[in-house]
Amino acid sequence: MKVSIHPYALSAVGIAGALVIWQILSAANLAGNALPAATTVFATLASILGTGAFWSSLGATLGVALLALAVAAVAGVALGLLVGSFEPVRYATAAVLEFLKPVPPIVILPLAVLVLGPTAEMSFFLVVFGCLLPIVMQTVDGVQGADPVARDTARSYGMGEGEILARVVLPSAMPYIGTAMRVAAPAALVVTVVAGLLGGGPGLGQNIYQAQAAGDYASLYALVIVLGVLGLLFQAATRLAERRVLHWHESYREVVH
Amino acid sequence: MSIRQAPALTTHNRKSTMAQQPETRVSATTPRLHVAHLAKTYGSGGKARTVIEDLTFTVDAGEVVCIVGPSGVGKTTLLKCLAGLQPASSGTAAIDGRTISGPPPEMALVFQDYNRSLMPWLTVRKNLVLPLRHLKLPAAELKERCDSALAAVGLSHADNQYPWQLSGGMQQRVAIARALAYRPEILIMDEPFASVDAQTRFDLEDLCLKIRKDFNMTILVVTHDIDEAVYLADRVVVLGSRPARVLRVVEVDLPAPRDQITTRSLPEFARQRTDVLSLIKRPA
Repeated sequence: MKVSIHPYALSAVGIAGALVIWQILSAANLAGNALPAATTVFATLASILGTGAFWSSLGATLGVALLALAVAAVAGVALGLLVGSFEPVRYATAAVLEFLKPVPPIVILPLAVLVLGPTAEMSFFLVVFGCLLPIVMQTVDGVQGADPVARDTARSYGMGEGEILARVVLPSAMPYIGTAMRVAAPAALVVTVVAGLLGGGPGLGQNIYQAQAAGDYASLYALVIVLGVLGLLFQAATRLAERRVLHWHESYREVVH
Repeated sequence: MSIRQAPALTTHNRKSTMAQQPETRVSATTPRLHVAHLAKTYGSGGKARTVIEDLTFTVDAGEVVCIVGPSGVGKTTLLKCLAGLQPASSGTAAIDGRTISGPPPEMALVFQDYNRSLMPWLTVRKNLVLPLRHLKLPAAELKERCDSALAAVGLSHADNQYPWQLSGGMQQRVAIARALAYRPEILIMDEPFASVDAQTRFDLEDLCLKIRKDFNMTILVVTHDIDEAVYLADRVVVLGSRPARVLRVVEVDLPAPRDQITTRSLPEFARQRTDVLSLIKRPA
């Protein structure tokens, strides 16, 4: 079906619809005080946004999520290049990596809390743990997927192995790494919040836990809205970054023929 | 600074010496490129597959030699051995008497698949610069090499475009320009014009002859197109298949300069191509 309305306008309609349904459900009092009205939640959100405590929590969450994501990206790409380039390393690590891949960070959360306590370091560790492996695996796939003709070209011109890795193989692997980052960025946010919610790490997750424990459902949902918006921003930022870095890739090329 | 410039100057001196006094070269006794009893077998034991068996031929300095043969004859395997990308199982390939054991610095390779051998994330100019980085040339020389290579293939205007923004023929010109900027003395091309349309193919063949003339380059072209081989070559090495071996080396004595219309309409051209074709078509 041909749509003549702007997609953003349709998005706005969808959001408005969801809010109306929320308001009606709340008015019907199906969930008791566990589901406050949308209007109440937004009023609470407005007052929360005026407090310094909120902004320092937001800063803590973003700081941990972004720093851990950056560390996971750099370490993950470096490890992926290593594992992908050297067959012995690949064979030695394949089983361990495949074993760890499906382990969600929440499984090792108790261990992390036990060792590191309810700290930012604990949250940081969990995020790195959660983001690192997918980035490593995707980088390995990207390295393996690098075109042998491109490698042969580089070798025939006398380029060294290190230079080929940095200037031919790594750029070839960028589309794979981009995909990994698009998944890892929102995951970093989620894990940071979970680490606060369940492990007591500082930030918005801890605030949500406190609001829940205090029965302050309006604050709880206000914080959830903040997280939702953060998630959208993370997604948009990674998409934008991917588009800029991979402008040359088939999926992003602007047709100029 | 002087140390950094030294290799570049040496290359220059060597090239200009060659251009001015070709008769002083020892090509009469030592060919530029000498392939002797080259063989390549993949695998071992019962699964061993011999792709090339006992190939011997030579390429003299300043000569264009074409290698033709039925498809799947192992031409790519041969080129990989010549380019030092993989070792031969037995026999040798040598440049000026020195056995090739790794990518030779005086050789550049042009692959058939320009869209796989050019880097899509680099502009045309940066594609040219990529293999030159490790030579640590002074910036001025780097620029001059790229400028003149792009001018030689008629792509000076496209240096800031990406390869995928260009037509197939233009992309293969970029690949050729990249080879020229490397200033090789021997240019090896693997089915270089197989992926472009007929008209572009003629243009690129003439570009190849122009490069030989302008740069006094030694050129080895692998092709499956017999007409192309006869048109380009001073000599055609005809390969027979499975495993590859030299059936015959055909001397092509067509007058220079060659021209797509007049050369191809010569009775001599028809005779030569029939010679080569009958060698390939002959039942093994």
